[in-house]
Amino acid sequence: MAAANFRVAQDDQGRRHVQLFGQWSLRAPSNDFAKLKKLLEPFFFDTFTKWDLNEIEQLDAAGASTLLSGWGNKLNANISLRPEQAELFNTLIGLTRPPSKKIDRDWLSPLNALGKGVLHLLHHFTEFIHLLILLLLEISYLFRRPQDFPWREFSANVYKSGVNALPVTALLGFMIGVVMGYLMSRQLHSFGADIYIVNILGLSIIRELGPVLMAVLVAGRSGSAMTAQIGVMRVTDEIDALTTMGISRTLRVVLPKVLGLTFVAPLLVLWTSGWTLVGGAFASNLELGISFRFFFDYLPLVVQPINLTLSLFKGLMFGFVVALVACHFGLRIKPNTESLSNSTTSSVVTAISGVILVNAWFAILTRGIGV
Amino acid sequence: MSEDIVNNTLMENSPDQDVICDIQNVCTEFGDNIVHHNLNLKVKRGDIFALVGRSGCGKTTLLRHIIGLTKPISGNVLLFGQNLHAMERVAQRRLMNRFGVLFQQGALFSALSVFDNIAFPLRELKQFDESVIYQLVMHKLALVELEPRNADLLPAEISGGMVKRVGLARALALEPELLVLDEPTAGLDPDRSHNFIDLVKQLKKALGLTVLFVTHDMDTLASLAERVAVLEDKHIIADCSLQELAGIDHPFVINFFQSIRSRLERL
Repeated sequence: MAAANFRVAQDDQGRRHVQLFGQWSLRAPSNDFAKLKKLLEPFFFDTFTKWDLNEIEQLDAAGASTLLSGWGNKLNANISLRPEQAELFNTLIGLTRPPSKKIDRDWLSPLNALGKGVLHLLHHFTEFIHLLILLLLEISYLFRRPQDFPWREFSANVYKSGVNALPVTALLGFMIGVVMGYLMSRQLHSFGADIYIVNILGLSIIRELGPVLMAVLVAGRSGSAMTAQIGVMRVTDEIDALTTMGISRTLRVVLPKVLGLTFVAPLLVLWTSGWTLVGGAFASNLELGISFRFFFDYLPLVVQPINLTLSLFKGLMFGFVVALVACHFGLRIKPNTESLSNSTTSSVVTAISGVILVNAWFAILTRGIGV
Repeated sequence: MSEDIVNNTLMENSPDQDVICDIQNVCTEFGDNIVHHNLNLKVKRGDIFALVGRSGCGKTTLLRHIIGLTKPISGNVLLFGQNLHAMERVAQRRLMNRFGVLFQQGALFSALSVFDNIAFPLRELKQFDESVIYQLVMHKLALVELEPRNADLLPAEISGGMVKRVGLARALALEPELLVLDEPTAGLDPDRSHNFIDLVKQLKKALGLTVLFVTHDMDTLASLAERVAVLEDKHIIADCSLQELAGIDHPFVINFFQSIRSRLERL
């Protein structure tokens, strides 16, 4: 294989002649143009060097462009070539040059970015409200025509985001319960306040940890799946196909997801909290010798039942927030992979932040209840 | 003259330099469905070779075998005399740079602009600096008759015809010897598909390419193909020029030829 190569000769006036030969083309797989360019560098700088391209067997755009960049993007009288090579070089020279990049220093750019950010946030907010109102309108429509309720999609979503999430929420809940129970038992034991383990675990898990843990898991698991699904449906025009069949995308795509997750989230909260308590009871049994029977008999006496109601209500709200945020970001996805990944990330981050914000707000509202 | 050189370069590693792609006794099955059974096919250098057959007969599967995306259950697919699946990585990559593929939907990287899509394979070589890459991309854009101002658009912002052209420019970026087209004119209106076929023919002549394509469209077939292979009933039942199809006595081929005869007469 005749790879691209060159030889150098010197004439009597001391001028160097560079003769190129071989296959100056990407088709010769052993060519490395970066290396060739480096080897030719001294000759490029010497303006008296004569270049002879007549022996080149094959010259393609890549080889020509490499040479041309060394010659300062123009041909001169020192270069001797064949007519078809000259044609290729002239074509390349005639192409548009890259736009020269001017770096404008803009001192106001941070302010600019801030303003853009605020507008962007505002845009998100209005679209979110828009989606919320559309959803409420669809629900009011369903009150008038209950037979249009998408039961199949609803139950599919309950299954996907509820039933399928049972193992992972149980496992994580149990493990966090064991860790918390263990640490707290050690502390309480040093005060001789063993019995209070039930109060602490009961209140913190039922009231706070259970719902938030569930929401974080569901946002990561189901929220991201919803965003990606709606996003791909947008990319493949499935959403438009639905609309042309006269089926509202809010009714068919958004509503079953939101209602499904809102419906199943309180149940998941119960399940997660339950397993976390079991984990806590397990740890207190090992560390403090508190029996399971005692733990669960004593629990309702020290944790007021209203906490359970609060916890279920939180679950309801968290499920709603996660699903609505997921749908909101899903519907904003543009048909490219970058947008898909950005939106899915934003969806999960926003959903978890939203859940924690709602939780804080709710904690302030209910600060006098049940503690 | 360029073809002579290409031939010379191949002599070292290929026993038969004129055969670019050699499919030997290929069998493919999907579950119980036998798609290819002891299928043989040779594509010669410089041909514009069409692979036709009814929907679902395994044309695209065969094409995917050829470009190394899938591996047949048994049999060999030799490209430039070498088996893609039995090579070490660097050599495999070099071999893969010797053919360019245009996918049916273009398969442009949706997150990259038109410019970056075409520049992608060139940048991966790590042999050129940005000014050379810019020039080469502009050269390829000019080859497929696109304006430089289109270079900054994203794939989602350009029309189907342009997606095909950009895909073609990307396939040609590394100066391949073999160009593989999957349904080159699917989704284009007759006028555009006509232009696209002219473009492919012109590029084939200018760059000394071998073109292998799969199509359902009779107009594309009649105006582009120089040779045609008919895939039917797990075998290649015909491998000849379009005119010679008339002499083959097989119900599918007879049917098929009738539908392209009028088009051939028009040319």
